[in-house]
Amino acid sequence: MPPSFQEIEHTADRAFRIQGADLKQLFVNAARAMFAMQGTRARAKPTVTREVSVEGVDRETLLVNWLNELLYLQEVHKETYNRFEVLEISDTHLRARVHGRPGSDREKLIKAVTFHGLEVKKDRGGWHATVVVDV
Amino acid sequence: MISKSDLKQINENVWEIPRSFRADMRAPARLYAEEGLLEDALQDRSLEQLVNTATLPGIVKYAIAMPDIHQGYGFPIGGVVATKLPDGIISPGGVGYDINCGVRLLASGGTVEEVSPFLEDLATALYHNCPSGVGVHGEIKLKGAELDEVLTEGARWAKRRGYARQEDLDHTEEFGTIPGADPAYVSDRAKQRGHDQIGTLGAGNHFIEVDKVTQIYDSNAAERLGLFPGQVVVQIHCGSRGFGHQVCEDYVARFQKTVRDYGIELPDRELVCAPFESKEGQEYFRGMACSANFAFANRQVLAHNIRRSFEQVLAGKVQKWDLHQVYDIAHNMAKVEEHDVNGKETRVCVHRKGATRAFGPGSPGLSDDLRDLGQPVLIPGSMGTASYVLIGTPGSMEQTFGSTCHGAGRVMSRAKAKKTVRGERLKQELQARGIVIRAGSMSGLAEEAPQAYKDVSQVVEVVARAGIGKKVARLEPMAVIKG
Repeated sequence: MPPSFQEIEHTADRAFRIQGADLKQLFVNAARAMFAMQGTRARAKPTVTREVSVEGVDRETLLVNWLNELLYLQEVHKETYNRFEVLEISDTHLRARVHGRPGSDREKLIKAVTFHGLEVKKDRGGWHATVVVDV
Repeated sequence: MISKSDLKQINENVWEIPRSFRADMRAPARLYAEEGLLEDALQDRSLEQLVNTATLPGIVKYAIAMPDIHQGYGFPIGGVVATKLPDGIISPGGVGYDINCGVRLLASGGTVEEVSPFLEDLATALYHNCPSGVGVHGEIKLKGAELDEVLTEGARWAKRRGYARQEDLDHTEEFGTIPGADPAYVSDRAKQRGHDQIGTLGAGNHFIEVDKVTQIYDSNAAERLGLFPGQVVVQIHCGSRGFGHQVCEDYVARFQKTVRDYGIELPDRELVCAPFESKEGQEYFRGMACSANFAFANRQVLAHNIRRSFEQVLAGKVQKWDLHQVYDIAHNMAKVEEHDVNGKETRVCVHRKGATRAFGPGSPGLSDDLRDLGQPVLIPGSMGTASYVLIGTPGSMEQTFGSTCHGAGRVMSRAKAKKTVRGERLKQELQARGIVIRAGSMSGLAEEAPQAYKDVSQVVEVVARAGIGKKVARLEPMAVIKG
């Protein structure tokens, strides 16, 4: 199985490339990548669950809004997430359930997810995107 | 990628990418750099990002890059763009997520010899009194009306609450309060994120640093700012925390549609914008001003807690332990200012993304005691290296919309820095040089290693030679406190 994300060089901030067989997988992998880059422990047993619903004018906006929603939830609830289920997805709407644990169990701060150079693209290998985050 | 042959050398310190370089440019792009720093800028996509900003509707003169330019998102870091009002745009992505990230310099009356015996205790007190790291919250919990007061009043709120002195406000950009702030244009989410973050440093490249003044270049200016050789001073680098991040996120997401509504075509979606005088542009501006005020209040409460730490550790041991504020500057902001454009005073919206306001003598917006001197400018170097105090000049007003550089500027990615440098080893090296370190994360320390940055002295030399900043003093670190 190919890795779910690959970190790529960026001088000041951080960037990662993600892929997925379908949009659901792409969005799950994007969330995994973002939390992995914050240093979240992926194997910790989840004890909290949050329902998430996000809108966007297109796929790129939906992806940014999804990831920023998770940054918002982790900060206001002082939680860290490590399991992600995308229940429904279209180009403009997403419904998901995320699981994690109380506490700020992260080494790194991601301030926000940006639109810089962002394109959600499909080819024969599946869906791809490269995401730049402000750190 | 842009190559050196695409640039025309204007003079020793200035390079230009002409408007003909790309069909969508609305103005040329100018870079302040000498040969070495130009080579650094050519290594990543920062100049391409600079060219992208030259396409913004309403841009006047040039898209400008400072010698500490490096690749960011949307704007390059170290970028300055002014748009002519009323028709020019304002861009939330151009200001960035950490709205009013900035630097404050406090100066004690104590000397290195007096303070050094207590430096370890002082660093520990600062680490405890100024919460840092990921997910931290402060002692102050703001609700409803009081949070709105912070958003509209900034440092003035802090003064009413006993966290500031009048001299602090006098020596803060915009006197610590950006006018036009309106909490109605800030989401509840931003308020939820920010309500317990006042007085916190956060993580990443934010820090508190105890420094010593090692060199004075302009004795008159130094004396006016209360700086002398051997003096112990403190720098704070931080911004508007989760509050500002959320405000930027809200507007960048919303403006994805706004640009379509206004028929604005852009080379990068992070550059989304709206005409400044439009409903959307004004709403962002009012929300951005709230974030800027939040950041001024944040640095003010941190300054209060730094004074408290100095008192706890040094009172009764060092006679002049108290700290006066030299200045506080913003380096991520959009401001409405008047500047000379083609010989005519013109109202413009100046975006500074990783660039510092550097108003020269006689400029409006300076307190009475600084008006004839010019605005103090604070340029922190990378961890373990020198920092500089400058003052604004007539040259910065003529050339760069009253702006100059903001720091050293990165050359190495965080991922590579972590592979190249071990945090624990770096800490030992800095300690061997007598620098006290209090850091929550060793990998975070490695990411900020001096090798990951340009040489700040080289950057400052360029702005000094170009006449967009005048050197006053050099600082070197004694203690570094970070998350």
